[in-house]
Amino acid sequence: MAKTKEEYKDKKMMPKGQLESVGLGLTGACVAVVAIVVVALIFMVAQQGLTTFFADGIGFGSFITGQNWIPSDGRFGALPLIVGSFSVTLLSTLFTLPIALGSAIFVVEIQPGFGRKIFQPLVELLVGIPSVVYGLIGLTVVNAAMRSIFGAAAGTGAGILSGAIVLAVMILPTVTTLSIDALAAVPNAYREGSYALGCTRWQTVWHVVLKSAMPSLMTAVIMGMTRAFGETLAVQMVIGGVEKSMPAGLLDPAATLTTALTSGLSNATTGSVEYHALWSLGLILLAMSLFFILIIHLIGSKGAAKHD
Amino acid sequence: MTRDLDAHAAKIGKQDKIATGILTLIVGLVLALLAAIVVYILFQGLGKMLTPGFLTNSPLDDENPGISFELFDSFYMLLWTLLFSVPISLGAAIFLVEYAPENWVTAAAKTAIETLSSLPSIVVGMFGSLFFVVVCNFHVSILSGALALTMFNIPILVRTIQQALEDVPRSQRDASLAMGLTRWETTTKILLPAAMPAIVTGVVISAGRVFGEAAALIFTSGSAPARLNFASTNFGSPTNPWNIFRPAETMAVHIWKLRMEPSQGNDVIAWGCAAMLMICILLFNVLARVLGKALAKKMTAE
Amino acid sequence: MQDISRRKFLGLMGSAAVLAGLGVAGCGGSGSSSDSGSADAGAGDSGSSSLSGTIVCSGATSFQALVEDAANKFMDANPDVSISVTGGGSGQGLSDVKDGKAQIGRSDVFAEAKLEAADVEKLVDNQVAVVGMGPIVNSNVDVDDLSTEQLKGIFTGEITDWSEVGGTAGPIQVINRKPGSGTRATFEAAVLQGATVPDSWKPVAEEDSSGTVVEKVQQTEGSISYLAFSYYDDSKFKALSVDGVAPTAENVESGDFKIWAYEHCYTPADADEVTKAFIDYMLSDEVQGELVEKDGFIPVSGMKVQKDADGNISNK
Repeated sequence: MAKTKEEYKDKKMMPKGQLESVGLGLTGACVAVVAIVVVALIFMVAQQGLTTFFADGIGFGSFITGQNWIPSDGRFGALPLIVGSFSVTLLSTLFTLPIALGSAIFVVEIQPGFGRKIFQPLVELLVGIPSVVYGLIGLTVVNAAMRSIFGAAAGTGAGILSGAIVLAVMILPTVTTLSIDALAAVPNAYREGSYALGCTRWQTVWHVVLKSAMPSLMTAVIMGMTRAFGETLAVQMVIGGVEKSMPAGLLDPAATLTTALTSGLSNATTGSVEYHALWSLGLILLAMSLFFILIIHLIGSKGAAKHD
Repeated sequence: MTRDLDAHAAKIGKQDKIATGILTLIVGLVLALLAAIVVYILFQGLGKMLTPGFLTNSPLDDENPGISFELFDSFYMLLWTLLFSVPISLGAAIFLVEYAPENWVTAAAKTAIETLSSLPSIVVGMFGSLFFVVVCNFHVSILSGALALTMFNIPILVRTIQQALEDVPRSQRDASLAMGLTRWETTTKILLPAAMPAIVTGVVISAGRVFGEAAALIFTSGSAPARLNFASTNFGSPTNPWNIFRPAETMAVHIWKLRMEPSQGNDVIAWGCAAMLMICILLFNVLARVLGKALAKKMTAE
Repeated sequence: MQDISRRKFLGLMGSAAVLAGLGVAGCGGSGSSSDSGSADAGAGDSGSSSLSGTIVCSGATSFQALVEDAANKFMDANPDVSISVTGGGSGQGLSDVKDGKAQIGRSDVFAEAKLEAADVEKLVDNQVAVVGMGPIVNSNVDVDDLSTEQLKGIFTGEITDWSEVGGTAGPIQVINRKPGSGTRATFEAAVLQGATVPDSWKPVAEEDSSGTVVEKVQQTEGSISYLAFSYYDDSKFKALSVDGVAPTAENVESGDFKIWAYEHCYTPADADEVTKAFIDYMLSDEVQGELVEKDGFIPVSGMKVQKDADGNISNK
């Protein structure tokens, strides 16, 4: 009996070992595919985007600081687009932050039952609304509102402010959800300690919860900014699309890196300087998203160090 | 001294009340905003959407153009996207949760997935328009579009599946390993079934996001309604709906395209399409929760 | 990911960069292989009696509807032919036909404006229609006619108020098209006549498409833009006459109305049989006589003047 048991075990041992390596191989291959695609993407965007500077003879400095983006004249100054991207991103974050943070505090500290079961799923629904639909609404509602509030000064109603408002709504769910997670992760002992000292709920939230959740809250904000920076079609439909020179005010029509890319790609012929310059814009977008990731990591490691 | 303290207590009590009031107001505003958006879309588009023929007529119909091809293309593109992205994401997530050795390979994989998640969809579309369309020679097609969407979907899926696997109680895993099962057996026989409800929910919710994506598709699967012939049996023909090498136009791209053409009635069709898209996504959300719950119930019943 | 230290992360980025660097040589080659493209249009097996094959026609959206209509009729008559008409813009149409990704590239500008001379030589220019374009204004603007000089002033930012051109005082809101647009190129060639637009001036919007132009002009008081005749719609905006000449097909044909362009279907010099057959159909009376006018375009045959790639106009 003992012998058969040994045999049984031996027979089973080999496949088990093989099974394990099959599993490792299969799942490892999946990971490898993802990694290869990402490397290919970075490489390809870099290769095409850098052609502008190395083969087409446009200086990197003048590309970044040039104030006129007029491809038909051979003038490739990306500064108006960079400024456009940053202004809509920062403005929308500014609009969305108090609302997202306020909602998160409400959900975690005031009405957890209602907040978690009803409010949060509803807000997450906002993520699901496609950006073209946000664009449609922006075009009909936000642009019209701009025209009726500011009159002729708003032009068609399209501009940085319109773009920022639409973006603020679009990133609201991202920032809210992540803020909720951040606040919920604060240990309850902190709150109890604060209450034991006689602090009110608001004092507890303000002095204890928000402070200890700060690194995660900052991560939430950066994630929102990443989304705003990369958003394309919704912004394109409401921002006015004027790429030629620097925006001078919030009501001024402008363009962002992403909108210039979308409208430019259909007019540029492959292999032309304009085509390469558009890839350079893609390269800037890529660099910015890597930069945002880097910041998140810096915040993460700093937060971790603090807890130790 | 006591009066000071009382005043202070009154002050902070008041502060607390004001803060609570403001926070409640903010939440009310957010809910009102959400309701306004949904109601506005439905108000603008529901009438058109419910017009007979709108969902079943071809967009090329002269009398009463509909969105039947776009509707089909949206779901068909989604199907291929999920066929590509679910297995890869599942594998990647299992690797990261179960095998991931503490070395640079794991770190690189994590960084790659994170990079993918933060990439603007237009950059993915741009890459797809060169890599899938030109280098891989898939042309502007459903295949190219689905691959671009796969890139967009993988980071979302990996994260949800990873979370689902990590949420399986440690004791189940330990028990299985202690019984002499390999990691692979543990994963396929114990962890995956336990995590299945959460995974299904995650997949369906991600499907909703993929469904509405347009920027990554404009340059990979095209922005013109294909002429589809549902009776076609020639799978190589570009009019065959099932041919993955034909160009396609999803509902989200259709909305985008309709804005470009000033033809009579296009704005109404765009809103009808938006309402349909919105309803599909609402259904995805409901379906995700219902499916997740049903699966969880079935499993605990066993 | 949170647990990876910053140093590790930077190291990773470094190794990614090295990997990317190693790949340079390999990928450079694969990139150019795209030229071999998809010219497998299946025309080889087409007999003389019945046509079969696939045509991809991409490019300008301005006359996409016209080509789609013609393509549908052509496909009705030739069930084994499949024509897929996609958009993308003139630039993409020309790139696609140059790279072999499409058999027909639609453009509303001459290929000379976008491609290298060597690439232009490999293409055949088929002018399938003429399109007239003219200025349009918001319905509340009480001006009906502008001279070319006035239009030039408005679109270079020198004239900024309607009172300067005989209307009720109010700011002129200029809505332009994107610089790469064929419509804009045609309009500027006819109106600006070489004048340059100062960098300091900018319009209130630069639109990607005719569709959004219509919408913005309709909604914005005091706005002016320009559009192809085929999109004219009195219920949404007002079309202006230029130098006293009304924007009509007859005036374009006679050469009195100056703002017009050819709609080009570029094909490779060695186009396959089915593509040639479709182009012949586009130029046949069936399309030129009916469809072209029905869709708001002007048949090339009716033109008494002609234009060359440099914009010089001469009598036929």
